[in-house]
Amino acid sequence: MNTSQLGRWAIGALLLAAIVRAPDLAAQQRGTLGAVAPENLAKPRPKPPFDLTGAWLHNGNERFDPPAGFVLTPEAKVHYDAAQKATAEGKLYRNDIGLCWPAGLPIMMTRVWPVTMIQLPTAVYMISELMNSLRVVYLDGRPHTDPDIAVPSFNGESIGHWEGDTLVIDTTNFVDSHHWIHDRLGIPASDALHIVERVKMLEGGNRLEMQITLTDPKVFKGDWVFTKFWNRVNNRDIAEVECLPDLNDHMPTVQSELNIRK
Amino acid sequence: MTTTKILGALVLALCIGASAYAHHSAVGVDRSKTVTVEGVVKTFKWGNPHSWIEMEVTKDGKTELWNFEMLPPSYLIPAGWTRSTIKIGEKIKVTANGMLDGTPGGIFVSVTLPDGKTLTQRAGRGQ
Repeated sequence: MNTSQLGRWAIGALLLAAIVRAPDLAAQQRGTLGAVAPENLAKPRPKPPFDLTGAWLHNGNERFDPPAGFVLTPEAKVHYDAAQKATAEGKLYRNDIGLCWPAGLPIMMTRVWPVTMIQLPTAVYMISELMNSLRVVYLDGRPHTDPDIAVPSFNGESIGHWEGDTLVIDTTNFVDSHHWIHDRLGIPASDALHIVERVKMLEGGNRLEMQITLTDPKVFKGDWVFTKFWNRVNNRDIAEVECLPDLNDHMPTVQSELNIRK
Repeated sequence: MTTTKILGALVLALCIGASAYAHHSAVGVDRSKTVTVEGVVKTFKWGNPHSWIEMEVTKDGKTELWNFEMLPPSYLIPAGWTRSTIKIGEKIKVTANGMLDGTPGGIFVSVTLPDGKTLTQRAGRGQ
């Protein structure tokens, strides 16, 4: 190997090393430790007012419907009107969840499925039985990721902090397609969806009050505020619940020729 | 309680029941009436988020495959089911809310087994 070949090889090796190390560098630039890094878990923090660890189920009594005087943007109204027309004709408009797209937020928290929560000092891990969807609420003081590098997702990015006896969770960075605020009514979610949840523990730790405020200026005007109550269910575990092709082959409601898929 | 209140409570209970554990919307199903068909079991899937029965129904010498969407085992077990309640090759009678577009199948309501025993998919409910 002559000097010139050696030089080219060394430059190549350095470039390769830079590419391989890129994710590490990004994490270092962000200056954050992973939520379950021992060093992060061990940092001194005030004792949280409550621990969400447990299995929770809301009973569906509080209907998740738009508030009075709800006004959709013209872009969103196209979907809403199409869904109303389809329903009146006994059809289904864009049944994305039935077709195995993730439910995402807010549906993960509004449809009647149990959610297991595991609270650590740095994060709350929420696992819904509905398609085993994972939602992480970071409590380690990190800010929201810069929107220019954040990867949009169905559950978004949730950052929580404590205000007195209340856990306040702020969620942004959502995907803007195949994602619904209310799928049955045809109310879509956009990338401007912003959700703020105020969570309080009631009845000695057996009941949760979750006040949810949705804003999505690309979809509707103003705020959509509603409250759900969750009960601790000590006799429940989360089962594997996946949306699978052979499941849908046997679901007449998914297979119906009348479904409007686009 | 007045009759209206009782009716209101019943309607509410049915609405909640219908929404519980739905993994997708069930528009397109004729909830106003039921159909009952007799056939031979091809598949009985005991699973999440839905169990299902696939059944061969023969009518006028023609065999069609019917699919019935069911609730998951967490509902079926309290209603008296196990994964061997229905066996492949058995002749059973299924009552369901059918599809508005005539797709063979629908949402399961009840089954009559070869020994005459009838099962629904929710404990403590007629339907």
